[in-house]
Amino acid sequence: MTEQQQDARVSELRAQLKALGYLDAGVDRFLLAPASGRRGRANVAVRSALRLGVIAGALLGPAGAIGVAFRLPGLITGARDALVLAVYFAAIFFIVFSIAAAVITFVASAAVRPEDDRFTLRGPRVARAAGWTLAILTLAYLTMWWRTANAGFGWSAPIWTASALVLAVAISLLLGHAARIATLGVLASNPTGTSLPPVSRRSWRLTLAGGAVAFVGASALLVATASTESVPAGVPPLTVVPTGIRLKVIAIDGVDPHLLNPSVWPDVAPATSVVGAVLGARYTLQPQDTIDPARAWTTISTGEAPDVHGVHAIETRRVAGLQGILPGDSTAIGRALRTATDTIRLTRPSIASRNERRSMTVWEIAEQAGLRTAVVNWWATWPAASRTGLVLTDRAILRLEHGGALDGEIAPADIYPALRSAWPSIRAGAEAKAAAAFNGVADRSLASILRRSATLDATVVGLTDALPGPVRDLDVVYLPGLDIAQHLLLSSGDEAAPSPSAMDARVAALRAYLGFLHGLLAPWLRPAPGEFVMLITQPGRVAVPAAGTLTVYGILPPPAHVEAPAIVERGTIPVADIAPSILQSLGIPLSRELAGEPRAAAVPAAQRYVSTYGPPFRDDSIRPGKPLDQETIDRLRSLGYIK
Amino acid sequence: MSAVPAFFGEYQSMVAAELRRLVPPDADAAVERSMAYTALAPSKQVRAVVVLLCAELCRGRAARAVPAAAAVELVHASSLILDDLPSMDNAPLRRGRTANHLAFGEAVAILAAFGLLNLAYATVAGSYEPPLAARLTALTADAVGPAGLIGGQALDLLATDHDISFEALERIHRGKTGALFVAAAACGALTAGASPESISALTAYAKNLGLAFQIIDDLLDVEGTSEETGKAVREDARKTTFVSFSGVAGARQLAGELCETADRALAPFGAKADRLRELSAFVASRRL
Repeated sequence: MTEQQQDARVSELRAQLKALGYLDAGVDRFLLAPASGRRGRANVAVRSALRLGVIAGALLGPAGAIGVAFRLPGLITGARDALVLAVYFAAIFFIVFSIAAAVITFVASAAVRPEDDRFTLRGPRVARAAGWTLAILTLAYLTMWWRTANAGFGWSAPIWTASALVLAVAISLLLGHAARIATLGVLASNPTGTSLPPVSRRSWRLTLAGGAVAFVGASALLVATASTESVPAGVPPLTVVPTGIRLKVIAIDGVDPHLLNPSVWPDVAPATSVVGAVLGARYTLQPQDTIDPARAWTTISTGEAPDVHGVHAIETRRVAGLQGILPGDSTAIGRALRTATDTIRLTRPSIASRNERRSMTVWEIAEQAGLRTAVVNWWATWPAASRTGLVLTDRAILRLEHGGALDGEIAPADIYPALRSAWPSIRAGAEAKAAAAFNGVADRSLASILRRSATLDATVVGLTDALPGPVRDLDVVYLPGLDIAQHLLLSSGDEAAPSPSAMDARVAALRAYLGFLHGLLAPWLRPAPGEFVMLITQPGRVAVPAAGTLTVYGILPPPAHVEAPAIVERGTIPVADIAPSILQSLGIPLSRELAGEPRAAAVPAAQRYVSTYGPPFRDDSIRPGKPLDQETIDRLRSLGYIK
Repeated sequence: MSAVPAFFGEYQSMVAAELRRLVPPDADAAVERSMAYTALAPSKQVRAVVVLLCAELCRGRAARAVPAAAAVELVHASSLILDDLPSMDNAPLRRGRTANHLAFGEAVAILAAFGLLNLAYATVAGSYEPPLAARLTALTADAVGPAGLIGGQALDLLATDHDISFEALERIHRGKTGALFVAAAACGALTAGASPESISALTAYAKNLGLAFQIIDDLLDVEGTSEETGKAVREDARKTTFVSFSGVAGARQLAGELCETADRALAPFGAKADRLRELSAFVASRRL
């Protein structure tokens, strides 16, 4: 008989012996193995706690991944991401539960002394109490986890919620059971050798069976709930009642309303020669809770609060091993965590993208309603996912500069060749306009900053004008130049404060830039009949959150007639009112999920409602984002957006 | 390691004293001398030591468990006499001496075997309070009966000169060896008033240890000498043994794994079970 044959024979006999009830110690070998040798109580406690941590990591890692998948859309892009994230969470839970189990078993072993006459009686009770403590803590955590991780459906989906709670109970009981066994092991390893009644031999099998149920259930829940999220079931059709209005939304960042005086920004009343009813309104926008442009402008474009739309900060993180993105957190703790995880290369910087946005933007809603739309250079629009609308994302300019294959920067892809061929002239025209406006500025550094910003804004305007196709119902354009100029001109950093005259020159430069913008936008600011302009401004990256403005005006299509002054001051409104105002003016029914109310005075239209717009349209293709990822980061860093 | 663990001595002497009390070596009657011949013959008394160790492990006193330990040894001695009879294994040597039936004649040997068996029951019945005595007696009877020694020996006789399955071999070993090991562990724990869970853990220990003990016996029959083992060797040539299935190396490996499993069953007892662990280590490496 060869050695290999003999090994096979021994393996076969081993299996037969197991089937006959041998080679089975009948106890929790995994947890109690440390107690089987001559080890001290502390040694046994630590070893048992580590083993309990392994069980907790294996059970709770997948659960943690499920929770984060709901909380942070865009982080998990596929099965591989889910697996990697589950491993990360398993590691975290391993550490947390190892520590918790060690503490609990130490406390338990201190609570009952082997010299005590009633040690044999009290030991199992203390172990049971330790088990229940960990089980209750775990169940409380899992219940709270489900409350925040269930994407809001709660008891409206009783089967899922009940299943989740059953799983939570199973996991909690298993971990509690493990804590009881570990505590027993620690107590049994007392130096006096006083023994305790051992646990039931059924316990290990129960642990295995319960663990299997927990795993299968968690996996099934992940699959089922993921499919629920991706299918926008119950989204009602959006029936448009045509208003005859075409809307151009111009977003200008970095505007101080006090600088918007007639000397630099003449009132934009429609030309008196135009025949039609002029309607207009101007609102002051309540300050937002942030100066982060991605967060602020996504709030405007979705009409939802950041907690709902999911874009919390411009700077996000990619987690090592994951395709998806971890949303940014602008809190001090979030920054500290980012620094720590960056240092150990667990995360690396990335930029807010469409992937983590959970709410539809106005142009996506309009596109879903069948209107013709275009959006240019808005924050968190990459990777572009559109069915019919034109999308030039916040990476489109970089792509046009570099050329090469598209990676979600522009949609639909068939407009890319035309834009790419027009790019040299667009760029040259933008540089020429910038040079013409600011070459006369004496201070070379000021001139350089202004030209750089002006070139960018003129490029955005040029690209918008170069978009192909018929007249669109909605154009949305974001102009960052003024904010960039303001930031570069006014932020002092750590150096000494600028002199009043230098500051005066910089403020004058900003006024000049506003004048340039007015000239640049002049063709858009004089609407034709049936066209409306919506001018949205935000204060940009200034130290104290400040107010923005919303100006809406246009000429109602004939035969409308309104007896009113061209533009009327209408008071202060929240930024959440902008999105419903845009949608209502286009004749799109409003979702009851929107946070704001339409401002009827902006553009008159009847109010109609639907229950929801559903989640944003998903493009399932994986976008690696390289090499423009790093290029985007470098450029945003040079413009002061990220540190 | 071949020698019994050092701690065996104190337990062996306790059991030996009790056996000498129960079976006086200087009795007049031939049947009593025949009983003493085997019961008091030099032996390791592993089963009796298991009784005492299990009792102590469950917070009992060894002295209280001595009658149960002696009873187990009496049962074992009885089975050895019967095993060696010409109608059974027809073995000439046992415990380094001439087999009982060769020394006293077959008829006396049979009577001596039954005498030892009944003495065992009487010892248990008379040494403990009635409920415990009843439980110990039932345990011992089960270990002796058709599910234990008698059943195992019957199957063993039928299997001689025949190929048998592994399951049949296990059934023989379980009856002839394992049953008394398990009974010894349970009896010891019961004399200490142990909980069912303790008994369950010790039963798992004894079950694995018992089979390991028998596998090593099979190995010694192949590898050992009469001087080392105290009995005739190569007697199993006509039988299917564990070695027939796994070979010498495989049998030793599996015996080791069974002893490791037995040790793991002791985990809840912590360091206090170290003597039982020493015992299993001895079984795994014994040469006699």
